[in-house]
Amino acid sequence: MKEELFASGRNIPNIDPYLNIWHWQIPGYLFLGGLAAGILFFASFFTIMGKENKMEATVKKAPMIVPFALVLGLFFLFLDLKHKLYFWQLYTTVRIQSPMSWGAWVLMAITPLSILWAASYIRELFPKWDWKYDILKTAEKWLIANRILMAWPLAALSIILGIYTGILLSAFNARPLWNTSILGPLFLVSGMSTGAAVIMLMSKDHKERKIMGRIDILLIIVELFFIIHLFMGFLAGSEVQINAANLFLGGKFTAPFFAFVVILGLIFPAVLEVFELKGYKVPIAVPAVLILIGGLIFRFLMVEAGQITRYLY
Amino acid sequence: MSFKKNVTHNPKLATVNKNDKITNMKKSKYDGSTYLNPYLGGVILGTVLLLSFYISGRGVGASGAVKNTVAATVNAIAPQHVEKSAYYSQFAGGDNRPMNNWLIYEVLGVLAGAFISGIVFNRLKLKVEHSPKITSRRRLWFALGGGLVFGFGAQLARGCTSGAALSGMAVLSFGGYITMVAIFGTAFVVAWILRKNWI
Repeated sequence: MKEELFASGRNIPNIDPYLNIWHWQIPGYLFLGGLAAGILFFASFFTIMGKENKMEATVKKAPMIVPFALVLGLFFLFLDLKHKLYFWQLYTTVRIQSPMSWGAWVLMAITPLSILWAASYIRELFPKWDWKYDILKTAEKWLIANRILMAWPLAALSIILGIYTGILLSAFNARPLWNTSILGPLFLVSGMSTGAAVIMLMSKDHKERKIMGRIDILLIIVELFFIIHLFMGFLAGSEVQINAANLFLGGKFTAPFFAFVVILGLIFPAVLEVFELKGYKVPIAVPAVLILIGGLIFRFLMVEAGQITRYLY
Repeated sequence: MSFKKNVTHNPKLATVNKNDKITNMKKSKYDGSTYLNPYLGGVILGTVLLLSFYISGRGVGASGAVKNTVAATVNAIAPQHVEKSAYYSQFAGGDNRPMNNWLIYEVLGVLAGAFISGIVFNRLKLKVEHSPKITSRRRLWFALGGGLVFGFGAQLARGCTSGAALSGMAVLSFGGYITMVAIFGTAFVVAWILRKNWI
């Protein structure tokens, strides 16, 4: 009996025809990573500008939640791993070509830095806090004296972290929806916008909220421009990219994307923020929470839709 | 464009002069809130309805969104009950996706629009509007009762004031006119019976 062996790349469970490997953990992490990047960027930026006492929530309060957001995000990534006990192997190699390697090392640097940053402000925010050991008190003194020294690398690393949350997806060259370099800046801007929203929620200073509101309006405009550009790029691309764009332009993701991300998550909060700047009374929690929900849904939709798009038909 | 500014509770009680000061209202405190001229509001609503037909091919609705939300909630908690129920199974269960419905998105838009309107006309605050002669609690109980009766009636009539009366009349549906007459006719009678809750 003659037997023939066929090797086929089609019909591989969870990979072909549709990728089905990334679930809630990934968009959850991308959201928290982007949010942490946004907060850290603003905290370090206003410190470098010498405005730390005018922007208290930005520089002091909001960074307190960053270590928790990063650790929770990393825990989500850990949950996503198939072989969880091998996670340390990410730290046995440096690969410039690999976005995951970039992510692993950036997080390795930014997470402890963010903890140090928060630690340097703990006693200012919680006066009853006691470091107990002299060595910790000396370390705190050094950190307080060298905040600018921390701010510069934090600013750079936060931008890399923000971009990396998009690059993680765009490095997938087999998924047309993800395989566009605009995802990096788009996720960065979106992350900064969610970071600004958290700061607005935490700030009690009207002037600070106004500054962050202005910045946020600008970020939303840039984000909308990137989203338009994303689809323009797809529609000018090949058939598979047009199909990928059509998932959002008439396909099954159209209504949730435009309703929850574009309108309720970007345009509507921007309109509310404009009203606030014009002097109308707007409860700032409403646009801030909408931006956060919109940012989260955006990441869920991108991860979900990206796994459906493919090259082979 | 200038809007006539009325005070929240009872336009008869007070009018507001150009400086936004109370002229003849004593009991109720004027809080700076204003309303759009009702005739202009009606024209805007009609324009919205026209645009809704033009853009989405459907009229406006409100009770349908509540109905779908209820059906989706029941389906999430007791899917077996939805399958057995002749009513719920029309909207939820199986291939039906009640929350992925035009009316749900429309109502989200209504909420967003109402929020902006509240900001512009300085009415964005939590309050229960009621006659000074009754308590907030009484007002809320009556509102709940009225809502229940109205929701039940809207399902019997296959639509509420927006879905059946407004959208129906706009396309000259006879059912729309009957619904309108029934809703407002009944309202006049019941309002007279329950008038002590208001005046």
